[in-house]
Amino acid sequence: MASTIIGAGITVEGEITTDEDVVVAGTVRGKLTAKDAVTIEHGATVEADVSGGSLVVAGSLTGNVSVSERADLQQGARVIGNVKASRVTIADGAQFKGNVDMDV
Amino acid sequence: MAQARTSTRGDGHEARIGGGARVRGRIHGEGDLLVEGHVEGDLAIRGDLTIAEGASVTSKAIEAQSVTIAGTLEGDVVATGPVRLAAGARVRGNLRGSAVAIDDGARFSGRLDCEFELPPELGGASRDTRGRPAARR
Repeated sequence: MASTIIGAGITVEGEITTDEDVVVAGTVRGKLTAKDAVTIEHGATVEADVSGGSLVVAGSLTGNVSVSERADLQQGARVIGNVKASRVTIADGAQFKGNVDMDV
Repeated sequence: MAQARTSTRGDGHEARIGGGARVRGRIHGEGDLLVEGHVEGDLAIRGDLTIAEGASVTSKAIEAQSVTIAGTLEGDVVATGPVRLAAGARVRGNLRGSAVAIDDGARFSGRLDCEFELPPELGGASRDTRGRPAARR
């Protein structure tokens, strides 16, 4: 069970900062900073720069991503922005526009 | 190592601001919200709001259905349902709800605004002249 959940009907306009994990099923506009895993579920909309330990996207994300571990763009994901992570996967059926920086 | 996971939750309308989280900005929408962390900004939800013990909310305006507060709140509450201040709550602001309950051990400073029938010995009988209570203190 995630510690912070932005439910499907909820919109946050502003800044979310946490030292735990975040699951977004609703809408976030602004900035999203977590120390742990960030999950953007199918149907969710995030218009924010995202930083965290890891990232899983199945929804829509517009913004730059910087995670310390891995970023997984799952099927159905739509990501516009630059992704900086040590490991990146882009699943078949994910849409992505931006740069990938794996720090090589 | 963080695992890739397809997370499908049954409870689509649940929202929670965890204990280690801070939100600065506006939160609005449909569904219940549980705040265990810190929120600075306005809250308007069509659902029940719970501010847990240890949580703090600083807000100009809070709108929700029912509101339960066990943490710290600074701001005005407008609820369509009941408002409850649990023991340990520290609230500064004005409260409006269909009913307001303040538990023993809760600390509150502000104004209460709720509709209720006064018993006749407190002037409730004078209300039957078109709901306007006799203006006396």
